[in-house]
Amino acid sequence: MIGYLPGHSPLHRAHPYTTLAMAGALLLGAFALTQPLEVWLLVLAAATFAAVGGVLRASARTALVLSLPIWALLFVLHGMLGAEPRMMAGPFALSVPGIARALVLGGRVTAIVLGFLTALATVSPHRLVEAMTAGGVPFGRTFLLASTLTVLPRMRERAAQILEAQQCRGLRLGGSPFARLRALGPLALPLVLGALAEVDEQVLALDARGAASTARRTALDPPPDSRAQRALRGALLILVAVAYAWKFWRMRG
Amino acid sequence: MTLRDLVLVRLGVAVNLVIGQIVAALLLPVYLDSVGTILVAALIGPRAAITVGLVSQVLNAVISGNFSWLPFAVVQIIVALYAAAAARLGLFRRLSTAIPAGIGMGFLAAACSAPISYFLFGGVTAGGVTVVTTLLRAVGAPLGIAVASASFATDLLDKAIACALVSVLLRSLPRTLAARFPALAP
Repeated sequence: MIGYLPGHSPLHRAHPYTTLAMAGALLLGAFALTQPLEVWLLVLAAATFAAVGGVLRASARTALVLSLPIWALLFVLHGMLGAEPRMMAGPFALSVPGIARALVLGGRVTAIVLGFLTALATVSPHRLVEAMTAGGVPFGRTFLLASTLTVLPRMRERAAQILEAQQCRGLRLGGSPFARLRALGPLALPLVLGALAEVDEQVLALDARGAASTARRTALDPPPDSRAQRALRGALLILVAVAYAWKFWRMRG
Repeated sequence: MTLRDLVLVRLGVAVNLVIGQIVAALLLPVYLDSVGTILVAALIGPRAAITVGLVSQVLNAVISGNFSWLPFAVVQIIVALYAAAAARLGLFRRLSTAIPAGIGMGFLAAACSAPISYFLFGGVTAGGVTVVTTLLRAVGAPLGIAVASASFATDLLDKAIACALVSVLLRSLPRTLAARFPALAP
């Protein structure tokens, strides 16, 4: 997997909302386009996006790893099991419309994954939180996104501890599906009940830090935004709207 | 949303994501990625549960790197609303009502996820479901039928187990802890 990769590219310097808007436009655009050529132009746009961010190699490698199983399944489900007519490609008799559909669907997934991996690699979580705070986003939303990521490793660790402890007490994880299902209770119950018991303690700790305050917070180091970036975000929105208008107009035709 | 609700939402998201780890260790043919959503719906209500579902979907994408499944966030909203209604009717109080409630939830979730899977991804989504779809397609089922059958088979089982687990969890809450949640009052 890929995380934030520090750098000085235009995407690293851009306002986090601008980079996320580009990734979002790729996601929405991918579902608006329905022809193989259009979708592959979008993949090219996603690759350019990654290159501008200076993370093309890292993003493309991870995107490839994530997309390959989907490509393989698309090849089988649409290429090999698709509708007539067929063409021979080596030992395979491939469906012509199936391959065209697989190219659209596979390109769609590749463009989305590449776009968001680039955003993940170039948007610093700290700058995103600062941008949200400066933008007046309520504390609750920033808290949810930022703090859940820190809670996860702790809960995973606890889940692993419970698993080992229950195995020491004789819990068997193998056997029939029903036997394995019965093992779910002794593993999930202590994990969730333990976490629920800590809720009030966590509320008190947050309250003591002023988290319940509704006053607007001041960001210490808000990322600079500019008129050009706001215009770019607006243009992306219009572009996506045009892509969908075109899609529905073609569907009517 | 109160501070307490926020902490519970965060817990719900973590449960959604971590239960998957346990399920993987047990090699069960289900996902159980909505246990946290159902639990929060029963403890607090629909608004918090919808937040749990949406945040889980986004964080799952951030953690796995696969953002193409974001459209399935709609399913989480359906699950949250249904779970809140089921909790209000007291269906999680007994296993005998929680499991049928889970089957109903699975029916709705599949009815929502199958079209997304078919129209947006051509039936190729998560590994297990797609393998079932491919097998059905290989024996001659039309793609739409194969996708729908695979979605219904997996979602009915998944949501029935998830609701049963939440029912057991709620009944296992110590009285002192259960008393802190007004929604659980009989």
